Order: sequence, then structure tokens, then C-alpha cells
Amino acid sequence: MRDTIVIGAGLAGLMGALALAEAGRKPLILAKGQGATHWTSGTIDVWGGDGADRPLAALRDVVESRPEHPYARAGSDGVEQALGRFRALMEAARYSYVGSLERNVLLPTAVGALRPAALLPATMAAGDTRLGGELLLAGFRELRDFFPPLAAANLSAQGIPARGVYLELPAVKRKLDFNTRVFAQLFDEPAFREDVGRQLRALRHGATRIGLPAVLGLKDPLGVVADLQRLSGAQIFEIPTLPPSVPGMRLFQIFRDAIMAAGGRLQTGSEVLRATGADRRLEAIYSAAAAREQEHRANAFLLATGGIAGGGLRTDHTGAVWETALGLPIQAPSSRGEWFSPRFLDERGHPVYQLGVTIDEHMRPIDSGGGVIYTNVAVAGAALAGADAVRERCYSGLALATGWRAGQILSTES
Amino acid sequence: MMHDHIELSLEQSLDHCIKCNICTAACPVSAVTDLFPGPKYVGPQAQRFRKDGQPTPDESVDYCSGCRVCNDVCPTGVRIMELNSRARAQIVEQKGLSFRNWILGHQDWTGWLACGPQAVIANFSATNPLIRIAVEKVVGIARKAPLPRFSTYSFRSWFKKRSNVRTFERSNVQTAKRQVVYFHGCSTNYYEPRVGQAAVEVLERNGFEVIVAKQGCCGLPLLSNGAFKDGRRYYEYNLEQLLPYAQRGIPIVGTSTSCTLTLKEEAPELLGMHDTAALMVAENTYDIFEFLRLLHERGELDTTFKPIDRSLPYHAPCQLRAHSIGRPALDILELIPGLRLSDTLAACCGLAGSYGYKAERYQIAMDVGAGLFDFVRASGSDLAVCDSEICRWQIAHGTGVTMKHPIEILREAYG
Repeated sequence: MRDTIVIGAGLAGLMGALALAEAGRKPLILAKGQGATHWTSGTIDVWGGDGADRPLAALRDVVESRPEHPYARAGSDGVEQALGRFRALMEAARYSYVGSLERNVLLPTAVGALRPAALLPATMAAGDTRLGGELLLAGFRELRDFFPPLAAANLSAQGIPARGVYLELPAVKRKLDFNTRVFAQLFDEPAFREDVGRQLRALRHGATRIGLPAVLGLKDPLGVVADLQRLSGAQIFEIPTLPPSVPGMRLFQIFRDAIMAAGGRLQTGSEVLRATGADRRLEAIYSAAAAREQEHRANAFLLATGGIAGGGLRTDHTGAVWETALGLPIQAPSSRGEWFSPRFLDERGHPVYQLGVTIDEHMRPIDSGGGVIYTNVAVAGAALAGADAVRERCYSGLALATGWRAGQILSTES
Repeated sequence: MMHDHIELSLEQSLDHCIKCNICTAACPVSAVTDLFPGPKYVGPQAQRFRKDGQPTPDESVDYCSGCRVCNDVCPTGVRIMELNSRARAQIVEQKGLSFRNWILGHQDWTGWLACGPQAVIANFSATNPLIRIAVEKVVGIARKAPLPRFSTYSFRSWFKKRSNVRTFERSNVQTAKRQVVYFHGCSTNYYEPRVGQAAVEVLERNGFEVIVAKQGCCGLPLLSNGAFKDGRRYYEYNLEQLLPYAQRGIPIVGTSTSCTLTLKEEAPELLGMHDTAALMVAENTYDIFEFLRLLHERGELDTTFKPIDRSLPYHAPCQLRAHSIGRPALDILELIPGLRLSDTLAACCGLAGSYGYKAERYQIAMDVGAGLFDFVRASGSDLAVCDSEICRWQIAHGTGVTMKHPIEILREAYG
């Protein structure tokens, strides 16, 4: 009943669905569960591989010199356009992003390593480690997997002076389990952040910037940051946590609301299991449901199910690799022995990470002979072959750029 | 504990848990109370310590409301709710079922006793504050929880009396006309016959002869309280009644999303019953809007609707979401000119079957539903729409608005 279906609700699928919804296509998004967004840091990493100091220049170089790279299919103008649309969407939801493609910002991770990001939520902006001065990192013992003293020690060892402290948990009704979502709900309450803000002021000493775990609210994170800055007298920034990621939940909600407002629909718990087609057209896909599969017929389909981590690609011990939803062919090394380079930290990376669906210039899936498999299908995100997103640190940038491009192409598919 | 292939696949499915905690972040119960530590802990984690003949390690699993949001959001496909339900059944097996939960599990008996002209007395008792306090103290059913009002007539008696209906129950099922079996469930029969009346009229409008087969409670109230043995008896009775229709390929259509889910998946999976009868009945069972949507996809739905110029909040109940069929009621109601529906996107109303009726869980249920109540109140509408009777009672209780099943709206649109 919906003429366009997007498979996958990660950043690529959501960005593609947004493009389709804005073109009036009322897409249906089918997803196995929530995932990719809730696993991401919330920063948009466009390029962190070779030449990470100047991401735009590196991006142009990739587009020019590596035509098989998904960025080449999106084009560097296309990447910039997609990021522009993304920023406008976030701005409209009062969750603005800062940064640029000219230069990556180096942000501290939860263990005090440094990671480059091109665009970042304004709530993380003051975490730029090149701003100088002493950092204070603060957290709660009740929040698992976030250890300010450890992160501070690691930053200090890298020449970035930092101190780590634990805060007293303000009086709250909860006594037992504190996960990232519970903390985000607590920060949504003014009394809770008042208490935290006062503690930060007392602990601040010489620090001008204070890092907190990225749990500063789900309703109005910029408002929470502003409150804490006023109360503590220092600049406040969020440090991404282990999943589930609160900045990722914010992204998901903003995308979902925009897509639904434009007539789209999201259906989770619905893994796409198989597909049928004829004459190079995909006709129907089938999702898991109670008692029997649900059939979905549509004119156009966007595949954005992710790679090996996201569940879009599967491998087994024999070395077989397959795409899980539509059964598209994957060009893979002939044996499992060729998946990996001899050394774990090999500069060339590992071939297995570049596996994926090969596409033509219209983002359509092609076979090893270059023939289009389905003319009414576009593929986006980590399901695509040709990128080594781990080494190139480009998961989110690539997802937004290819998702946007694929959505635009399918918008004109009849 | 049972050792069927579901049990094995549950054991394997818990190995798929990567501990990402997405379920914990989505769980509406752990969001509001410390008493439930979340799906990941009581499900895939505690499951490793549940062994035959050994005491169950963690009774907090009983605070799972069974809404299945965890299953819905899990990115790796772990069947968390099934793990929790079986764990609860293990506790009941070891410690027995409380009288309170036994009562809550037998809505068919209370309905049978109280539905009819005597409903006046039953409804008086159910709304009398003193009686409710006494019931809370003695039995443990929350004094404020929204007990439904018994109807002065049952759906079945209405259906029997209709003069234009030629068939009833299992006579004449082999006639050539398109037929459909209607599974009304206890709530339509004893509390809200109007839902069944609307369903029958919509199906007849689309050229179906409606058969109201013999049927008992679907068994879910017992299954969700861990009383698997008793639940199984109901389920087996229904299989026996419905199988002859399924064998003839006659669809079984229901308006209660939890009854249809029980027939489709919940009972066979929890009880480990996967014989031909269970499979055939499951495969022939449909939520009514799922069924109407299939008709529409084939171009067979009568879409000559009168306009309804209204904006209404719509809540998709957890039990409907567990069908994993999207929003069939929205897909069909969207065809009515002028009607605009806004999806509440709320995880759960809180009541979750018999959960919120339990005195110690009433407040949890209200806290779970708080966001949903806010949404409905903020809409300014005096009417909201939901497919599940339980959620309708809870939303009405939490907001004061009138609640309808979407089939009643569709019936109105046919004029």
C-alpha cells in the first residue's frame, strides 16, 4: 500500500526515508529493531583516515582516485548537500550541530582516547581537545562504563591536562539500576541539574571546561547544557558513552518525527527475510511477523540494512558471505583466509571490511559482470562495498551521504 | 521446564544478545521503577542461571509486563519476552498461583457470572469504593484500577437474535458464499458487544457471511500469569473448535489484538505446541484490520466511505505491535475522507493485560502510561482510538476521554 519501502532504520535508511518523504513518497521503513542510531556516538564522522586533518580535501581525493568507493557514487558535492540537509534538520529540532569539513575536531572518548569528527552536536563542542586549558571530567559511580579518573589520566598522558572526579548522586527516587536513559530522564528534571551544577562549581577549581557523560537529557539537551554552564561557571560538553547512546536516541527521534510528519511510517520488529522479483524489477519483500510472513509490494525499494555489524551482511565459517534481505550477490575473496591481512593493525586494513553490495552510478545493485540486478532498488550505507569505514572513520558521513543520494534517486522512480 | 525446539531456539537466541542494552533503554517498566531491572537482566542474562530442578534465581522477572517492546527493538532478534514468560511459569510451577492471579486469569468466568441483566449489580460492586477497598485488602486487586463495566447483554446473545442471520456456529459452513469466522474474545462478549456488532456489520458489508464459532477464553490471562497448564486447556479447546474452519481455509478474524496474537503465536510458542492443528489455526488467524488491509490490497474492500471530519489520537497496543504487521488500522482508516489520526508512539499504556490490576503494580502501570495520557489529553480530542480493550480502559481511566475500537470508526464511515 506504500509505493516506496526503505529497509533499515539506521542513519542511511533514515536519511533516505527523509529524502523520499520530502519528495512526497510517503515511505514505509521496515526495520528488524532499533540499532545503528542507538549504537552511534552522535557525531558525524566524514573522514578520519589518511588526510584526516583536512577532511574535505581527503574526501575530494577519494572521490577522484577511488571510483569504487561509495563516496564516489555520492560525489563530494552530494556529500556536502546531504550534510547541509542533516544540519538544517537538526537545527529545526533545536539540536544544532557545529563543525565543518575543513577541519576535524579531536574529541575525547570515554576512555580518554582522541577521535576525529567533522560535525558534532553543539552539546559536545567544548570538548575540542585543541582548545587548551585544564579539563575537568565528571561522572557518577552509578553509571556503568564511564570512569572519569581513567579518561583524565589517559588525556593527561597525551599532554592534555585533565582531572577526573565522581559526583554525588542527587536525591532521586531510584535506588538500583542507572543506565544512560535513566540519567537522561533525570537530567530532564531542573532540580536534578541544579544539584549537579552546584557540585560542578565546587569541584571546578581552575578548569574552564567540564566533560560529562553524554546523558544530558532527551527533551532539550541544549537547555540542559546552558543550565549547567550557568550554574557551574564553566563550559560543559558531553562525552559519548557506550551504547545505548543518548545522542543516538536524539538523532533517531528527530528523524522519526520529521519522516512521520511528512507522511512516512516506521515499522520495527520486522526483519526482511526474502524478496521476489522478475525482469530486473523487485516486486515484493517479505518481513517476519506472527504466524506468517508479511508481504510488501512497492514500486521502489531502498536497501540500508548495514554491514556485518548491523546484520545486513552475514558470513559463516566456510567463508560464505551473503546479503540478508534481498539475497543480492556479494563479491568476496574466494576463501576465508583472504579476509584478513597478516597483521592485526595492518596499514592496508583487512579486506573483509570492504565487503558489500556493488552498485552502479545510480546506486543500483550490480552483479560481477556489471549488470543491474534490480532497476528499482537503491543501496546505501554500510551494506555497500568499497569502503573500509573502520579505518576511514566514515560510517556516519557515508551513511548520510549515500542515504540521501539513494533517496533522491528513488524519488523519481515510478 | 519444556525442552522443545522453541526452548532450544530460545537458548540459542540468548546467545545473540550482545548486551547493548537497547531493550533496557526502551523498556517502559524499568523506566519508571527499580523493581524491574530491565529485559536484558531478567531475560538473556538471568536465563543462564535457570536450570531444571534448581530454584529460580531472580523473581524480579515477574515485574515484566509482557509488552514485548524489548523484542520489537532488539537489533539481534533475541526473544526476550518469551524467556521472561517461561521464567515466570517456572516460578508458578515451583510456588503455585496466587488466588488473586487465578481470578485475574479467569475473566471468562467472571464475565459469564456477571454479564446480563444482573450486570447492574456487578457494576455497582465494581464501582463502589468501599467494596473496592475490601477487594484490594483481601484479594489484592487495585482499588483504582479500571475494571470494565459488564454489559447487560452478551455479544453472543445479540448475534443469536439477529433475524437476518441464517447460520450460527457450526451449521452450514460449507455454503459457497465467502465466509469468515469471528473470534470475539471475552471482552467483546461480556463488556463491549458494540465492538463485535461493528465487526460483524463491516464484514457483512464486504460480502462475508460471519460465523461465530464456539470459543472459550484465548487463555492469555492465564499464560501471562504463568499458569501454563490452565492456559493450555483453553487453547486446546479453541483449537478443537477452530480447526474445522481452518481446514476449509475459512479465515478466523478477531478484534482483540491479544486474543489473535495468542492464537497466532503466543500460545504455540509459550506452550511449545507446534502440531498441525496449532499451525493451521495460527496461519488462518488475522487481526481484523490486517484482514481488511489484505482485502484492500486485492481491491476487494468496499471503500465508499462517508467523510468523518475529525482529528483523533490513535494508540497501537503492545499486543498489536507484537503481530509485527505495522499499523493496519491506520492504513485502512486513512482511506476515510477527512479523518486524520495521530499515532501516539507510546511504548505501552501500562495496564498490560492483568498487570496494572495488581495492587502493588497499579502505580507502575499509571507511571508507564503517563506519557500516553499526556499525548491524548494534549490532542484536545474527547475521543481516542485503540485496537485493544485493555488499553482502551486504561487510557479512558488515565484521561477521561471516550475510547473506541477502530472497527467502530470504520462502521460509522460506512454510514
